[in-house]
Amino acid sequence: MQPNDEMSRSESEARRGGDAPPFLWAGWRRLPPVVYLALGLLLILLLLFAVAGPVEAGQSTLNGLVGAGYFALGAVGLTLVYGVLRLVNFAHGDMLTFGTYVTLAITSLGVPFWPAAVLAMIVTALLAVLIDRVMWEPMRRARTSTLQFFLAAIGLAMVLRYSVQFFAGSQVRAVGLDTTSSVDIGPWHLGSLQFVVMLVGLATILLTGAGLRYTRLGKEMRAVADNIALAEVAGIDTRRTIRITWIVAGGLAALAGILYATAIGSINPNFGFTILLSLFAAAVLGGIGNAYGALAGGIVIGLAQEWSTLFFNPRWKPAIGFAILILTLILMPRGIFGRRKARI
Amino acid sequence: MSLAEDILAIEGLEKSYGGLHAVAGASFTVGRGSITALIGPNGAGKTTLFDLITGFTRPDGGRVRFEGKAIAGLPPHRVARLGLVRTFQLTRVFAAMTVMENMMLAPRDQPGESLLGLIAARGRHRQSEASSRDRAVALLRQFNLENKAGDYAGTLSGGQRKLLELARALMAEPRMVLLDEPMAGVNRVLGRRLLDYVAELRQSSGMTFLFVEHDMDVVMTRADHVVVMAEGAVISEGPPDYVRTDPRVIDAYLGRPAG
Amino acid sequence: MSVDFWLGVGVIAGIYGIFVLGLQINVGFTGLINLGQAGFMSIGAYAMGMLVTDAGWSIWTAMPVAIVIAIAAGLLVGLPSLRLRADYFAIATIAFAEIVRYTFQNADFAGGNQGIIGYDQEWRDISDWLLDRLTPLGLGDLTQLPLFLAIWITFTLCLILLKLLQASPWGRVLKAIREDEDAVAALGKNVFAYKLQSLAFAAALAAIAGFFLSFNVTYLYPSEFDPTFTFLGYAALVLGGYASYGGVALGTVLLWSVMEGLRFLQLPLGTGQIGALRFVIIGLILILASMLRPQGLLGRKAEMQLRG
Repeated sequence: MQPNDEMSRSESEARRGGDAPPFLWAGWRRLPPVVYLALGLLLILLLLFAVAGPVEAGQSTLNGLVGAGYFALGAVGLTLVYGVLRLVNFAHGDMLTFGTYVTLAITSLGVPFWPAAVLAMIVTALLAVLIDRVMWEPMRRARTSTLQFFLAAIGLAMVLRYSVQFFAGSQVRAVGLDTTSSVDIGPWHLGSLQFVVMLVGLATILLTGAGLRYTRLGKEMRAVADNIALAEVAGIDTRRTIRITWIVAGGLAALAGILYATAIGSINPNFGFTILLSLFAAAVLGGIGNAYGALAGGIVIGLAQEWSTLFFNPRWKPAIGFAILILTLILMPRGIFGRRKARI
Repeated sequence: MSLAEDILAIEGLEKSYGGLHAVAGASFTVGRGSITALIGPNGAGKTTLFDLITGFTRPDGGRVRFEGKAIAGLPPHRVARLGLVRTFQLTRVFAAMTVMENMMLAPRDQPGESLLGLIAARGRHRQSEASSRDRAVALLRQFNLENKAGDYAGTLSGGQRKLLELARALMAEPRMVLLDEPMAGVNRVLGRRLLDYVAELRQSSGMTFLFVEHDMDVVMTRADHVVVMAEGAVISEGPPDYVRTDPRVIDAYLGRPAG
Repeated sequence: MSVDFWLGVGVIAGIYGIFVLGLQINVGFTGLINLGQAGFMSIGAYAMGMLVTDAGWSIWTAMPVAIVIAIAAGLLVGLPSLRLRADYFAIATIAFAEIVRYTFQNADFAGGNQGIIGYDQEWRDISDWLLDRLTPLGLGDLTQLPLFLAIWITFTLCLILLKLLQASPWGRVLKAIREDEDAVAALGKNVFAYKLQSLAFAAALAAIAGFFLSFNVTYLYPSEFDPTFTFLGYAALVLGGYASYGGVALGTVLLWSVMEGLRFLQLPLGTGQIGALRFVIIGLILILASMLRPQGLLGRKAEMQLRG
């Protein structure tokens, strides 16, 4: 079945254009899924306005957009690494933790928060490349089995998380930014920090999306994620692409962690692992391996978690991520944007 | 043609991947007790066709009848249980199990293979194990593998693995066997023995064989019916001598770029 | 150090041993990467605890029913996800375990973060009875001994059962699925059904481990069951080697000797740091074993090296 699977991937471009199904609404099917998604979200938003009232619905949407940033940026690295290396990186959540604690460590030397955050992103990206060099690359060369990759990833997750805990302790730590000021937008308001997180998050989502779409590096990364053999034939330097994938994944993971910590105000060394499942939910929802899908999936998860508070106790927020993950796995394992075969 | 003559009938089978029609309306029949060869240039859809017949891939359209029963879309294990067993192009032996264990796995309806059977039918399961073992020993002897019975299958040579895979398929007592390139990677002596054995089985038990093969000598001398596929469809079929001279076949092999 | 201390280590090692037997049937013998074992364990433990405290059942009826409930949970997880590729199954199981933990932590019926308490009176009675019998032998002070014995006897019984099953034609099919599931399907075996059965066994064993864990901790608290439990289980599995039930005993004892032995090294560290260090070591074991010893640290070479 392997050859068929390959075929289905390499021919997927052709499929989108041809073979219009014989339905009246056939033309609709040619719209990119992102249009459906946007329409769907808009529809839900309108419903919420009607049901819960514009103030509450708008406020939860705003809160949701804050979360959308860190979910999307966390998920995009997870999905790129899966796409390029077929690696389900259980250690990705702990890269968020690592980057955030590095930021805190740098600020404790007297460096202001945001410059420290940029430094931490660089450090985390370098760590990701280093780990690939000493761990993943030798394992790829040895043609290690899926099980071993999984266990190594879990082991790496533990090493990262508990190394952080070793040095920083397991207690909850305040990030130490001013949390009192807030911004008013019409009838809605948002803490200034949350506002910044939302802006940085959404801007980085757009930048990442544009980078993947228009830069050569982005195109190469997507090509390798789509079909590594074909990409190699097309003359893409896959080793370099892999390196860049880790840099992007690591850097964005650190940023996602930093945005999370900034928005929430305090963290402990477990937070990255706790949010990992929401990242998986975003990645799987978007079609695992599909970078745009992960960005869109992250936005959906962020919104869905906050919207749920209109109806349920907020303590169930994380469960929304789980529920979306499970439902996606059951109902459409390829995700909204996915083309890759999920069934055996 | 009547049902009694055809063991397998394929009608308008279709499967496409994206814009590519891997199998595009293939139709043919396989006579009971025949040795039928399926040939065609690379990318003609032969392996996909095998996957469609044996349930490993779900067809987009068309029908498959085995012994008069519609089997298209059935899961692989249901197809196999009806007596239609396949081998794979890239040999698939259970590497970390012994040759004997590979053989013992294959028989159908083993009472010891269900948890309920293990408890309720202890005596029967012992009996069935013993008789399977006897059959396995006999088959291994025929395939010159009896000395390897206790070895891990992963230690066998490529050719020996092919033999083991066929012997294992026979342990399932199929009515029809689909062989995907049985000769690939097997030395000529072993390969010939394998084909002799196929001919013998057809003679002795009326088993039907459908095999994919690239070696035209083998196809022309061993098959009594040949089906030719190109670009997902059947372009010619008939006795070897007829197919050999069919201009459509020559065109398919020479006139167009393969693959 | 006192005998009681090492008995305590033996208790934990035994609980993990039963837990890891379940992982072994999935991972070592069926090729299923089940990352939700802690979820099945907590469902078993909580079902038992709630049937006893809320419904007033005896533990002797509560435990079998709890096992059935854990198996049902296994089927519930397996039915949709076992048809998917291996990586999806792994993600689905880990998500399942987190959902379970999250539910027990937050749902009112499970006592939330207060947990459940007072389900173990019948076990205490048995334990006291046994201690009385042990007193004449001079072992009456070893309060952990009854639990230790119960756990390791159970472990041994489970081990024997699994070994018998593995030697049966049923076990042969499982092992073949681990090797190449397509080839198994081509021989007429219903691969999906066997995977479900394998998962059901894992869930049942996890539930049994959960009973003993709940006797050991005296109250059920959701954080006892976080996914780390599963990962420690994998460390024991890797240490003892894949595809060997005997290796599970070795692996779990080794793991816990190392974990507990760390405190004798007199490291100049705080207790929090020693705790963190333990997990760093576990992580390194998982990484290094995966990189260097595909058959597991003490596993037989042939079985895992011949694969694909």
